[in-house]
Amino acid sequence: MSRERIERELSILREGKQIAELLDTNGRTVVLYRDVPTAGAQFGLPEVADVIVPVPSGYPAGLIDLAGLPVGSPFLARVRGGQNSQGLVEAAGRQWQLASYHPHNGGGGPPWNQCQHGFHTYLDHLIAWLDKLA
Amino acid sequence: MARQTRIVANNDTQVLVRMAAPEFDELRSLVFRRYPDAEWATFARFGWHAAASTLVLTLAKVDAPSIGSLDERVDHVAIAEPYTLNTALAAEQHPLAVGVIHSHPRGCPPRPSFIDDDMDGYYSGYFEGFAPGRPYVSLILSQMENELAISGRIWWRKRWLLVTRVVVERNPVQTWIGGRHPGKRPAAPERIARLTAALGREASERLRRSTVAVIGAGGTGSAAIEVLARAGVGQLIIVDPDHLDESNLERVHGSRPEHADRKTPKVTLARDHVLSINPSCKVRAFRGALPQKEIVDAVVCADLALGCTDQQHSRLALSDLAVRYLVPSLDCGVLLEGDDGRVTGQIIQITRFLAADPCALCRDMIVSTRVAQELMSDSERTQRQEAARLARARGEDDNPYWRNQPQLNTVGYLTTAAGAMAAGYAIGWLTGRFDPPFSRLQMNLAAKFLDVTDLEQSPQPGCVCRRVRGWSDQAIADALITPPSHWKPVQTL
Repeated sequence: MSRERIERELSILREGKQIAELLDTNGRTVVLYRDVPTAGAQFGLPEVADVIVPVPSGYPAGLIDLAGLPVGSPFLARVRGGQNSQGLVEAAGRQWQLASYHPHNGGGGPPWNQCQHGFHTYLDHLIAWLDKLA
Repeated sequence: MARQTRIVANNDTQVLVRMAAPEFDELRSLVFRRYPDAEWATFARFGWHAAASTLVLTLAKVDAPSIGSLDERVDHVAIAEPYTLNTALAAEQHPLAVGVIHSHPRGCPPRPSFIDDDMDGYYSGYFEGFAPGRPYVSLILSQMENELAISGRIWWRKRWLLVTRVVVERNPVQTWIGGRHPGKRPAAPERIARLTAALGREASERLRRSTVAVIGAGGTGSAAIEVLARAGVGQLIIVDPDHLDESNLERVHGSRPEHADRKTPKVTLARDHVLSINPSCKVRAFRGALPQKEIVDAVVCADLALGCTDQQHSRLALSDLAVRYLVPSLDCGVLLEGDDGRVTGQIIQITRFLAADPCALCRDMIVSTRVAQELMSDSERTQRQEAARLARARGEDDNPYWRNQPQLNTVGYLTTAAGAMAAGYAIGWLTGRFDPPFSRLQMNLAAKFLDVTDLEQSPQPGCVCRRVRGWSDQAIADALITPPSHWKPVQTL
């Protein structure tokens, strides 16, 4: 994992006022995006949500994939892939459920290009994910 | 500048300086501008990598002097203060080390003079004020007999270090440590008499001084290793994570059934085979894979690398080493194609990765989903494959979870041909006798006239490989690949 690269990407997010941090969990490293905007208001749900994204092995050679919400989050029932669990992760004192969301792997986004994409651009996919609620 | 005492350098740390051909060509034409009677100089920028016992410096940029930057009226180097100040101010804006490179007149060895001592004493202190903690580099180039001779010293961590080796992409050069002649060449052994007769005595001497890294010690790698060992290459760095299986016996040179029975690491087998062929060859064997740190530390000290695996992450790592650390490499791949019981294709591909070549990403050699799967841990793979199975059961697309990769079929004569060809081109590079006449060679042994093609490709706009050539660790955030934390630690055998 290129910690230097991820820190650079997270600093780009911070410049845009998006808080995101790199967390080492039990055997897995994740990026935690705080208060990602959602379209939840129309369903009486929060307007923001915290989301985690696993750092892939060999990053940036491995592509960014999946997205996780806190276990029990009402968004899990409404986001794409939310009911198709891809595992549980402990991070920041909470348990998170990874959803089957694959924007760079046939899931609607462009194919992974490590020269263009990163955790800073993945935020756009997370916003789109939380904007299209069923 | 005040006259100082003579500089005394340490030689307890190996210092390797690497240059890529474009920067070297620019440098040579610059510093020999007033050759043969007068000197000339330029400032330059270097990336660096501190390996276990070696400091590696990579020439990243030549900051060429403009009119008036140096005094034309004197034969020695006299640099004007504005040129120095501009170089120092620029160093505040970039992360690279700064250095000065100058020539000595024809026939004068690259031995630092009193004037050079004064200059280096002054600049090492001066630049430290603008670029603290970075090495200061001083190199001297001189044309001696038939070889370009280079010496140098580095001011780093409050002491002077001698440059112990200079490696220039596609250009054999002689390193004069501390400005001293490298010594009389030993006679080439009878064992390589035919090679010496064919390529010349200088060539065999250059091979003896060379280090080649071979990544992958399977069918292709073992063939390349055998050719290089027999040719008299001085040092081989052999890297492979696997042990020998019975199914490898058809391809791996030096392998015997007992190696498969004992699950002998391929690198152990390769090392023992090399030493049985050429006992004077120094072998460093690593059970692991690029880009693990210990292996990067070793490979960045090689003159060149051969990529002999069918793993895309290895290809990506070699490409990264070529760009950032200026390690030239040739990547080999083979493929046997068939249809309806007949062999229709016997493909050999050899791709050249020089520092200025397009990287593996620019060349579309990398499938991101395949690399991602190669890099996953066993548990993640199992989880993904199970998710794919469930998706298929639901009648959904299983591709987002797992894509089965076809087993690449190959045979011993094909891997041997590819490995021997790559080793041959490596010998051409190392000796300066010939270059690979291609960028990305493909040939089909099953086709008439072998269907040889050369795929010339261009860098893709915006690719990181255009920005960080020679930046070494100073572009660590731009590494194309990093070693997964679940990989087993490297074993040095």
